[in-house]
Amino acid sequence: MEAPYDDRLLHQRVVGGDESALGEVYDRLSSLIFGLSLRVTRDRVIAEDITQEVFLVFWERPLAYDPDRGTLRAWLATIAHRRAVDHVRAEERRRVSALGPRLFEREPVRLEDGVLAADEAERVRQAVTSLPDGLREAVELAYFGGRTYRQVGEELGVPEGTAKSRIRLALRRLADALAEEEV
Amino acid sequence: MDPVERLYMDALMEEPAVPAHSLRPQLLAGARARRRPAAPTAEWARPYAGRVAAMDALLAAAGDEDWSRVVVEGWTLQELVAHLAAKDGLLAASVGAPVLGPPLGALDSLTRTGDVQAYERARSPEQTRRDWRAQADALCRHLAGLPGTAPATLDGLEVPVRDHVLGRCLETWVHADDAARAAGVRLPDPVPEHVRPTADLCARLLPWTMLLSGLDGTGRTLRLTLTGAGGGEWLVPLGVEDTAPGEPDAHLTADVRAFCFLLGGRGDPADFPAEVAGDRALAADVLRTAPALSGP
Repeated sequence: MEAPYDDRLLHQRVVGGDESALGEVYDRLSSLIFGLSLRVTRDRVIAEDITQEVFLVFWERPLAYDPDRGTLRAWLATIAHRRAVDHVRAEERRRVSALGPRLFEREPVRLEDGVLAADEAERVRQAVTSLPDGLREAVELAYFGGRTYRQVGEELGVPEGTAKSRIRLALRRLADALAEEEV
Repeated sequence: MDPVERLYMDALMEEPAVPAHSLRPQLLAGARARRRPAAPTAEWARPYAGRVAAMDALLAAAGDEDWSRVVVEGWTLQELVAHLAAKDGLLAASVGAPVLGPPLGALDSLTRTGDVQAYERARSPEQTRRDWRAQADALCRHLAGLPGTAPATLDGLEVPVRDHVLGRCLETWVHADDAARAAGVRLPDPVPEHVRPTADLCARLLPWTMLLSGLDGTGRTLRLTLTGAGGGEWLVPLGVEDTAPGEPDAHLTADVRAFCFLLGGRGDPADFPAEVAGDRALAADVLRTAPALSGP
């Protein structure tokens, strides 16, 4: 799962201290990173802070990213997700410690992971398994079977539009499951 | 992309969101405070400024054990950085840019390296890093106002400053790679537009590397094909006084990065991966003598 040429070139430029490359990475990926942070934290100000921090980490420590191990967007998303989850846990801990003994310990952020971590991948698989059958089949055909919307419709014996809306509904359910599981 | 990863991303992107206001200007301002970008400089000096920034990114992540580990030439990382600063300082002196570190004494690079290393050993690695970066950036800023054709002298060799700067680029690239290997870090190559002029310098050095090895290539011509990002094709006259290439006597094809590193003294010419055609003995001579100009 190597990164595409564009990712490599942007990485090379950032390593070489080219600020405009950081701007390009931001333009391309900030809505993903912000959206992900917002979904987990449900706080726009915190999500903006996390977004800033994720891109600053890439600028300051560009060698922590290895294009041989995955895409830049997966790497940045993984950092954002961990930071957002850390934030939510810290909030939770603050509430709990106001009430009594400390129950939660903060997990360190593991920047060295270049790709979607195995536990993250496992969470996605479990979330897919818990979808209703119709949605699960559509998603499995589209993502793991590499089918187009039309082919998914044909295999499930439903119109293309129906296949499409099942996949979209499944994605929405997955997004909620992935965001809420940690909270 | 792996299907799970794609599914994960698509799920997260299901409701794309945008921040209330663009964070871009704030981000770029914050970035400057966290890590200095490549120094502004003349177009032809940018490959050098880029390698300095890359080396600095590597040094930023170095821990105590990295700084004291012997990297190359029996030098620790701190001594290696002092060596780079010493040679940058000599080039700075030659073109009238500020020279940092201990007062200039002898102008040969080995003696100056010894002087700067002795000076830096009494300082912390972080200070050495700052001194080296300040010297390189001061040189870059000075080069911004200089034509690339201005003469400059380093180690007794007078050539246009542009070529000395490309030489500094190659050396910084090679030593950054040495340091990265020692630390087990992967360092990406320069962008293709920075590799290209560096490879061009290496191609133009071939008549000199042969001559310094006691071989006179006058009247012979090499067709050189360098593959990979930043590569290209060159017709290289192999005599130092040849004014134009002739019909190629031999054809050498190799990876552009490996070729630059061969000139930089890395890799064994005897088993260097290259395709040769035509006069194979000539091609072998070119490869065998290629590292002749590489020093510490």
